[in-house]
Amino acid sequence: MTALDNLLLISAVTLVIAVLAGNSRVGGWLVTIMYALQGAALMMMSGLGYSTLTMVQSSFSIEVLSQQLLWRFDALSWFFALITIGAGLFCSWFASGEWGEKYRDNGGSLRLFHGALALNVFSMLVLLASGDLLTLFIGWELVSWASFLIMALAGGKAFGYAMRYISYAFAGAMALLGGLLLIYAEVGSFDFQSLKEAVPTMSSATLWLLVVLLTAGFGVKMAILPFHLWQAKAYAETPGPGAAFLGAISSRMGLFAFIVVIVQLIGISRLVEMKIPFTFLDAQDLLAWIAVFTIIIPTYIALRQHDARRLLAWHGVGQTGYMLLGIVIANDLGSAGGLMHVFNYATYQAMLFMVVIAVIHRTGTSNLNKLGGLFTRMPLSYLAMLVGIIGLAGLPPMNGFVSKWLIYRSLIVDGSPLLFLGAVIGTLGTILSVYKLIHNIFLGQLRVEHVAVREAPLSMVIPMMLLAAVVFVTGYFPGLVLDWTSAVQASIGIPVLAHHLGGIDMKGGLDMIWIVSVLLVGFGFGTLVFFLGGRSKRVHQLDNYAGGHFLTAETRYHYSDNFYPGLMHLIGPWYRNSFEWLERGLISAVDTLSTAMQGLYRNAHPSYLLLAVVVFALSWVIV
Amino acid sequence: MNELDKIPVRQEISVAQGGAKRTNPLANVFDELVRFCQSRSMFMLHYCTGCGAIELPPAMTSRFDMERLGIQPMVTPRQADILLITGYVSVKTLKRIILTYEQMPAPKYVIGICSCTVNGGMYWQSYATAKVLREYIPVDIYIAGCMPRPEAVISGLRDLMGDIKSGRADNWKRYFQNYDHYLGNQQQLFGEDWQTPTDIIAEAEHYGLMTDQTLGEHTALLQKHQQPLEALEFSLGEKREKIQGEER
Ligand code: SF4
Repeated sequence: MTALDNLLLISAVTLVIAVLAGNSRVGGWLVTIMYALQGAALMMMSGLGYSTLTMVQSSFSIEVLSQQLLWRFDALSWFFALITIGAGLFCSWFASGEWGEKYRDNGGSLRLFHGALALNVFSMLVLLASGDLLTLFIGWELVSWASFLIMALAGGKAFGYAMRYISYAFAGAMALLGGLLLIYAEVGSFDFQSLKEAVPTMSSATLWLLVVLLTAGFGVKMAILPFHLWQAKAYAETPGPGAAFLGAISSRMGLFAFIVVIVQLIGISRLVEMKIPFTFLDAQDLLAWIAVFTIIIPTYIALRQHDARRLLAWHGVGQTGYMLLGIVIANDLGSAGGLMHVFNYATYQAMLFMVVIAVIHRTGTSNLNKLGGLFTRMPLSYLAMLVGIIGLAGLPPMNGFVSKWLIYRSLIVDGSPLLFLGAVIGTLGTILSVYKLIHNIFLGQLRVEHVAVREAPLSMVIPMMLLAAVVFVTGYFPGLVLDWTSAVQASIGIPVLAHHLGGIDMKGGLDMIWIVSVLLVGFGFGTLVFFLGGRSKRVHQLDNYAGGHFLTAETRYHYSDNFYPGLMHLIGPWYRNSFEWLERGLISAVDTLSTAMQGLYRNAHPSYLLLAVVVFALSWVIV
Repeated sequence: MNELDKIPVRQEISVAQGGAKRTNPLANVFDELVRFCQSRSMFMLHYCTGCGAIELPPAMTSRFDMERLGIQPMVTPRQADILLITGYVSVKTLKRIILTYEQMPAPKYVIGICSCTVNGGMYWQSYATAKVLREYIPVDIYIAGCMPRPEAVISGLRDLMGDIKSGRADNWKRYFQNYDHYLGNQQQLFGEDWQTPTDIIAEAEHYGLMTDQTLGEHTALLQKHQQPLEALEFSLGEKREKIQGEER
């Protein structure tokens, strides 16, 4: 038994326990403990994360088509597995307390929920452990179906969104399968190593086809443009912490596969050689631009959402762009930034979803127009959301700043001012919409119906607070995460970023320990002045200025609907739902085609067959 | 008509506001520094009630540029130091002015621009205007004229700055110290059930400005029908939750 065997075994046992005992009160906690055990098993392989180990094999393998199917972990798998198990642990913790009871009381099946979550973690681990292209495909399909399961749990509208996802996933899987068949035809094996060796001799046309097919396949999972439509709604409607889990890690599996196949096996340098005729662009630029538009468009869609979960989920799509951008740039800075962003993003996205779910748990809504002023009622959740949005917006002192800084810096070093501009525009949209999020939920006027609201229960608050601590600490000491990303860089063969605990050493480098310390001193001074300076007096929220108006509890002075009207006046006409339109067009085309086929086979079939036979016979006689 | 000057006023001015000098020379220097800073950084909430407001834009913008004196417009009373009343005050507007004034944090200064705020001006015969502003809230500086030119506005502001620097501008304390008097005048105009969201008596206690003139028959009337607004306290609610858990 190797360490990887242990991990997969524990994960499978978690799944069994979740299915058997998930419905009971202890069951949830038991599953949570099992996730912690998975984490411990992962730590047995922690050498992978620090470059002291290169690979851990699984002793389990089977032979298909005279191909040896292998499962193994390397630094990349370890890094992603760490995030997966962490997300599973926190989400299951969150779900095991009061949330689970309420979910069950409302008629949800907690057994199914825990089972689906455990299945997701297990299938992701299997995917991450894949040692050749065939196991990659198997893992890929497992992950797709597992996500479908958890998305469809809520039924109703959610099922519709899940169906939409699975149609996209099918298309993606077909593209992937096509790519794999192409590889098999060219290389004659599904082995990683033989693909890598065969790439230099492949013709440019084959390679183009391969890159397009594979990127499309993986891109569907990542929801990069133009496949971004399915994700936000499907994730947002997933029950409770399931949304946090999916948002944190699920679509990163696409990125993982992208890194394995495109970056590691085909290689970015090969992409640079693939020029697009009649333009100045090559395949790398193309991917980078796709990434930048994946940042901008979904982020600005998020700005218009009225539902907190939708808003977050759309950001999930947008932030994928940063990761992809960093990784496609593929210098030491960019890839470290992209990989680090995977970790950072998972931490604060999970936390933000948890806060929103806690708010739903207490108030029953996530409609941004129906909340407000919860700061005094749920101060800890507010704190978590504050930390989370600072991270998501990429501002110091949180970890999101470091990864975005690395990506920006890599774009500057790489000499791509336009990509840089695109990324900055995306960040601007992020800052605007996260402000909308925290303002509409926690700041402003407390509604009469929410006066009795209390802070979320401990089972929810503790995971949030722990994640907040992670976001802050890895922002203070980014070296902790950069150690892992360096190991990943070394294992996939891109230049390794030289770093130290506080950041990176270079001209115009970054030392977060300094930055954050200075910030803390500044804030500390401000706090001192506030508490020692003068006597302050708390006043009621209706003792407020509204142009001299006398406010009553019935007066809505919390400004939440039609946020940013000035900006919308400027950019409003740009929202034209072109992609929705495209999707509808595609659907109706497929619909028409299938109706026509049905007509051909079912109704007109005998006469057409007769006609075909007659034509054939005639032509045979004549010729 | 009530005359403010006839009301006994307690002449107890705090040291920080520069009344009695402290014996410690260093403390004196500190007090002066504080007052100097206060006079040089004033945010102004202009409650543009009447025609006089039209002279403010030139006073604020590049021609006369009051920002060189450290005076800037501010959007909310919570951050403002000066309340500018720029013209005739109708009864309806006065309610808003009082509400806004009470929301400003101390130290706060009121400037009445235009003759209309001094004695009703050309609206003296109007049934709808409150004629003498200082009967309802304490006024620090009047700038008379119909309407005063920007130069006059600036000069009035400079006078106020001088008063602040020398520690004479402390009328805001009178509102707390003589609340009963002001409230009485307000009740006369608005009726007995007049109240604002701000609890002035509690604030007077909070700032230590209670005198025997703070409370009286008018405040008693107020307290009879006042519905106090309690500030929102932070609640974690864990305790209550535990009790609920045990019940279950
Ligand atoms: S004093 Fe003259 S300018 Fe000023 S508000 Fe009265 S009428 Fe208007």
